[in-house]
Amino acid sequence: MKTQFNRRSALARLGATIAGALALPVARKAKAAVQYFLVSSGAPKGYDPKDHKWLICVDATKCIGCGLCAEACKKENGVPEGPYFRTWIERYIITKPKPGSEETRGETLVDSPDGGMHGFPECPVPKDQIEQSFFVPKLCNLCEHPPCVQVCPVGAAFKAPDGAVLIDPDYCIGCGFCVQACPYGARFLNPITHTAEKCTLCYHRITRGLKPACVEICPAEARIFGDLKHLAPDDPLQQFYETHRTQVLKPYLGTEPRVLYAGLDEEVR
Amino acid sequence: MRHFRFPPQLFRLVLLTLAIVGAYLVARTLLTPQSFGEYGWYRGSALAEIASRTPVFAGKKACAECHADIAQKMAQSEHKTFSCEACHGANREHAMDHDVVPAKVPDSYCLRCHEGNPSRPSWIKQIVVKDHYGEKCSDCHLPHQPTQSP
Repeated sequence: MKTQFNRRSALARLGATIAGALALPVARKAKAAVQYFLVSSGAPKGYDPKDHKWLICVDATKCIGCGLCAEACKKENGVPEGPYFRTWIERYIITKPKPGSEETRGETLVDSPDGGMHGFPECPVPKDQIEQSFFVPKLCNLCEHPPCVQVCPVGAAFKAPDGAVLIDPDYCIGCGFCVQACPYGARFLNPITHTAEKCTLCYHRITRGLKPACVEICPAEARIFGDLKHLAPDDPLQQFYETHRTQVLKPYLGTEPRVLYAGLDEEVR
Repeated sequence: MRHFRFPPQLFRLVLLTLAIVGAYLVARTLLTPQSFGEYGWYRGSALAEIASRTPVFAGKKACAECHADIAQKMAQSEHKTFSCEACHGANREHAMDHDVVPAKVPDSYCLRCHEGNPSRPSWIKQIVVKDHYGEKCSDCHLPHQPTQSP
């Protein structure tokens, strides 16, 4: 049997293929529209990321090292057990200088057992040897110029218009470039999903008008959270950065973090 | 003058180029997610997907809706900065359905913040457990108003 393949049928097939290709995006748009109105995805509606600019201030002098924030973060975000943290507390112990030395201080020891989420064990240094000791809460520094986003080869890491640095879990291929690029150690590879993970600023909470879990739970008010585009006249955030001298971590990297620290020692990086 | 004829081999080349560019454009429309580029070089709908997670902690406001009496007492005490869930644990389920009974706070929980530790700032009251009186914190201190006794 001879196949019928003349100019007329070839043109018709070509036309049908092009029409089909053009109809597909239209059909997908229609599907998305139907989904938006009829199917509830659980995402809060009416949140416009361009209408917010989030900022976190951390008062390091207030942190009491209870670890409730690290524990709450794990619970809230379902972070797997083990050494995986989206926020954690570091304990700094600066020892006294050796007798006869002209230094003002000795060695600096930093530890964070279990991210501090179960509190801290006895000081490894006897009390009379300690010059100074303090806790520092750490989290994603919400960089204005995030190095982790720059290195992502697939467009999975991004900075949302509201300042949150997020990861698209569907697009992340788990290459780990961003984990290496982050100068603050705020990212890790989830051992279950094998994708990169980090503090989302509790995106599911802030879009519903709640505070991030660590801010909500901190009993010492060491973390202050707010929206720069909607500051109340007596906003704790504004009061904080007006009355405290703040600094960012590793300013020389030019990342311009949106996490401002007050009361940091020079040893903290 | 001879009539100019477009060389057929060039014509085929142009056609091939157009076909390749066309195929690329069609593939790009089909393969790029619809919301890609909505805010930047990423999938705009990822924002809503990340936000669709269900919160675990209810937040202090939700607690105060029913427990206004305790919230009021606490607002005047040293523990005024506390979120209820700092001690009572994540209780969104209890906030949504009051039949879900929240877990009891273990008695030693106070020590999480108040046990003496040289790294703690001096503004928080700290005790050395073996030198402190009594066994149970709540024998002498009301957790919601820590300077008062029961």
